Amino acid sequence: MSNKAKGKINPDMLSKYGIYLVLLVLFVVSWMANENFMTKSNLTNVSVQIAVGTILAFGQTILIISGMLDLSSASVLALAGVLSISAYLSTGSLIIGFLVAILVSVACNVLNGLMVTKFKTPPFIATLAMMTMARGAALLYTKGQNIYQIKDYTIFGQGNLMGIPIPIIFLVLTLIITWYILNHTVFGRSIYAIGGNEEAANASGINVDRVKMKAFIFNGILVGLAGVIFMSRVNGGLPNGAVGYEFKALTAAVIGGTSFSGGVGTAFGTLAGAFIVGFLDNIMVMVGLDSYLQQIVRGAIIALAVIYDIWSKSKGKSKKLIMVEETKEKVS
Amino acid sequence: MKKWLSMFFAVALLAASVTGCSSPAPTTEAPEGSEAPADGKYKVAYVARAQADSFAAWLANAVKEESEKYDNMTVDIFDGQASDDTENSLIENAIANKYDLIIIQPNNGEAQRPYAEKAIAAGIKVITTNARISGIEGASSVDADPYKQAQVNAELAVEKVPQNANVVILKGPPGNFHADERYKSWQKEFFEKRPDVTIVGEEIANWNKDEAMTYMETWMQANKKIDAIISMNDNMAAGALEAVKDKPEFAEIQAYGVDGTAEACLLIKDGKMTSTSLQSAYDLATALMDTSNKLLTGEETQIDMDIDCPLITPDNVDQYIEMHKKAGAIN
Repeated sequence: MSNKAKGKINPDMLSKYGIYLVLLVLFVVSWMANENFMTKSNLTNVSVQIAVGTILAFGQTILIISGMLDLSSASVLALAGVLSISAYLSTGSLIIGFLVAILVSVACNVLNGLMVTKFKTPPFIATLAMMTMARGAALLYTKGQNIYQIKDYTIFGQGNLMGIPIPIIFLVLTLIITWYILNHTVFGRSIYAIGGNEEAANASGINVDRVKMKAFIFNGILVGLAGVIFMSRVNGGLPNGAVGYEFKALTAAVIGGTSFSGGVGTAFGTLAGAFIVGFLDNIMVMVGLDSYLQQIVRGAIIALAVIYDIWSKSKGKSKKLIMVEETKEKVS
Repeated sequence: MKKWLSMFFAVALLAASVTGCSSPAPTTEAPEGSEAPADGKYKVAYVARAQADSFAAWLANAVKEESEKYDNMTVDIFDGQASDDTENSLIENAIANKYDLIIIQPNNGEAQRPYAEKAIAAGIKVITTNARISGIEGASSVDADPYKQAQVNAELAVEKVPQNANVVILKGPPGNFHADERYKSWQKEFFEKRPDVTIVGEEIANWNKDEAMTYMETWMQANKKIDAIISMNDNMAAGALEAVKDKPEFAEIQAYGVDGTAEACLLIKDGKMTSTSLQSAYDLATALMDTSNKLLTGEETQIDMDIDCPLITPDNVDQYIEMHKKAGAIN
């Protein structure tokens, strides 16, 4: 969103705002399909439902922009969540419980970061290993059983602050922080630079390993926070909870225009991607579409949204060119 | 990728089991029907469906505990990782490792059937459990009847669900024997007898609490009136009730489950859940070890049995809460 100077409508506007247009169309169609869709309580409901997945998706966005990804986020979420609840139940302190979640998750992500930077493991493999280890650790710690009776811990996922559900507050805060990091910090610019061209970034004096490690640490904070909200929302420590959330998060980021070739992506795009998936799931259940059919529709819409995004970006020039240009803009 | 992963774990598990068992058993060549094993203990392999599935994990833990009461057996637990491939190779490994008895908790009965038959052909005793694979010549089985588990709840619901009610249904994973049988039972024992009831929502929540909660939240947006939650297990019922919590317009909602988990017992005690039926991992484990013992010592050659599935309601919930407290699941 840095070049407001180009005021033309096509095709720049299309490429930049294509995904929001998709969201808008989905919104209008859903509104027509069911009268209960466009109510304050349903919109709040969907926003709360997507909070956990979207907070994970912000972490994925930063990692994907810098040419990495995190397959371990859902498993680390579960490990951080059950340890956090356990810490709360034994100390009685919500703050300690909260901090344990963040610490555990950051520790796991520091390990991810070390594997990637020190041992040059591809992020796909490094985080795949962490995915399996973290889930195993969560199951081992709980012996595969849910932790019940979590008392006041439910405040993080079920509480309200001035009438606003706390998960939404966390969602907005993480959105602002992610947006700020990406657009207004040296760290953010370095992320785009590394994703655009790692060697060039290195040659221009960016400490690539350090930036990558910082990206994982930031991801760790988000994953820990998501773990607290998730467990609190379901009122229990579920060691096998949130299975598949890493793909939910990746889907939101990719639909939102984050490119796996690196160097491209925005916080608001990811939020839009998450809303597209969230509203789609919501309206399909509301109108009572067959569960098997839902899976087909979900897949098709993902494909269509991304095809539209790429098509609108490629109008006039090649996608690669746009990416290079956008990267230049971000770095300069 | 998933296959690759599960293969990796199968190999890792095999390695662990080999190193774990190699020292005390110098190739126990146990001929068919032998009364006394070489080192004085029978080797039992328990192949679990998936340690990540909370009921399966509860059952595996209970089997391990129960086995400690028997001096003549050692039980090794193997994790099928919710994969037919992995589970089948674990059964093959157990055959190769010359276990005296293999207990199979299938991931998918038909996929494990040929491997169970292979074990029998190798002279190894086989018990299938939760759910049984029926009709294997020479194999025994210990199970709970999923149709009956749902039926006892459905019979109560026929009386309790109000006239012209709106209900929602939460289903288990498609193709799962228990999920399908419980659903069939609800159809026959409740919906056919209550044509006045309308189903306003029906989704697959895969036994999961978080998925069930999300569906319920959405159903509450689309329907002003929902009178009952009909769930194929307790975990999903608890998830749906989590969504209903603090919503005065849904305060009177009824909820039916199956399993008798600690959480469901507490919800029944609080008056939030209507009923569930117990599928006790402890009872299954006790029956499994007793059956194993009888088969191994030659007291019996084949046993097929079902454990009870008592209905849990506010009237009798206290004794089940006590049971869970003793097991340390709640305090």
